[in-house]
Amino acid sequence: MKTRYHIRSRHSLRRQSCIYALLTSISVGVISMPNAAYAAGTLAGTDIQNVASATFDTAGGPVTIQSNTVTIKVDELLDVTVSSSDPGDVITSPGQTSNVQSFRVSNTGNGDEAFALTATVANGGDDFDPSLQQIVIDTNGNGVFDAGVDVVYTAGINDPVIAPDQNITVFVITSTPAGVVDTNRANVSIAAAAVTGTGAPGTSFANAGQGGGNAVVGTTGAQSLASGFLAVQATSVTLNKTATILDPFGGNRPVPGAIVTYSLVATVAGTGLLNNLVITDPIPVGSQYQTASMTLEAIALTDAADADAGTFNGTLIRITAGNVPAGQTRTVTFKVLIP
Amino acid sequence: MKMIVQIMAALAALAGASIAAAATPLQLSSDVFVERTISRNDGTKTVVLEKPKMVTPGDNLVFVVRYKNVSTATANNFVVTNPLPAAVTFDGTSDGLEVVSIDGGKSWGLLGNLRIAKENGATRAAQRSDVTHIKWNLNQPLTAGAEGKLIFRGVVK
Repeated sequence: MKTRYHIRSRHSLRRQSCIYALLTSISVGVISMPNAAYAAGTLAGTDIQNVASATFDTAGGPVTIQSNTVTIKVDELLDVTVSSSDPGDVITSPGQTSNVQSFRVSNTGNGDEAFALTATVANGGDDFDPSLQQIVIDTNGNGVFDAGVDVVYTAGINDPVIAPDQNITVFVITSTPAGVVDTNRANVSIAAAAVTGTGAPGTSFANAGQGGGNAVVGTTGAQSLASGFLAVQATSVTLNKTATILDPFGGNRPVPGAIVTYSLVATVAGTGLLNNLVITDPIPVGSQYQTASMTLEAIALTDAADADAGTFNGTLIRITAGNVPAGQTRTVTFKVLIP
Repeated sequence: MKMIVQIMAALAALAGASIAAAATPLQLSSDVFVERTISRNDGTKTVVLEKPKMVTPGDNLVFVVRYKNVSTATANNFVVTNPLPAAVTFDGTSDGLEVVSIDGGKSWGLLGNLRIAKENGATRAAQRSDVTHIKWNLNQPLTAGAEGKLIFRGVVK
């Protein structure tokens, strides 16, 4: 039965013409592909026009007729998506200013639309609230915060206008309070809302759409919010001092002539790197520093202010131990004589 | 002067249309409806068809083409063609008896038999989203007074 409706060989297609038709379809298919790239859909204000035609044979010959044309305009759909574009937590430290968090705001609607941006630093469920310094728009579009080049956002003044299916990068600049400790995290969020309006999907704003139609709220509610996190990396150092006495008689009594070996162990805790650790210790009153007795990590140091890490200035020893990763220790020893 | 020419042209078009309507033995009309989901007070939802002036991407459209033989003679080889508006993705017909084109109306076939080129030179089966034209070959003679309708669905891209 169904074969009755298959295409009839009215034009008696030959094999060559079939191949020609296939080739033709191939080229058209490839050319038409870029149109499909519009994830946002048909642009607002586009007219959809439909007209049917019919051909038939009469006694007077073949006739072609057209139907009426139906025209529908495509409204503007208001949709937006915000996402964090940082690969993970943004590292900060106690008291640090100018933390930079990156977010992507995408216009998933089908018209040019301005979006109002709101950053929130006081979110629940985290350990601390940073202070908001600025929201900055990635004006030069390189995805990197360029202070003094990228433009600071002011609500209602320079709400970014985003073309359909396009996105922009927005930076939220914050500072971290001094009181935070290692592993503390902060939730920083940014919301984007269509300036034309937001609301439940389907909410319509008469004549507010691009191209003269209405603007209709899409599935996102025409607003979107995304969070990014700051994570504190902080180190702390503890110094432990012990003394070992060797008296002239082979014992360990603090008598004249005894040598006291002091051991200073600096332990770095937390996360990250402790920068520029310097250990100083005054020589106890009534004792005599033993020349060239300093060591750092069991390596002997000279007393002079020279290339090595140790100096003795006559009253105290000073050792610059450099940058120490968390979890490591630095051990310093020196010797004094009890006269 | 230009305006007069335009008016003349418009009048000519009008006259032409009315003459054609009077002379043509067949009437053909096109309607487009959009499916709207209405929430009732009792919480249920119902789908209604509306005649829209405006649509948004993702809306489901129903196209209805009505035909009627208003002459006293039989029309043979009756074929209805509907080019798909560029902003609409084909979503099937109610009768499944159509042939389609994926190349702007140059070649025709059942959708399942058509193939489209991929960028790497291979081909893939054509999808509904590739369809550019829909055609019905009504192989039965359309007798005087006979009428019918053809329905297809589309989604606003």
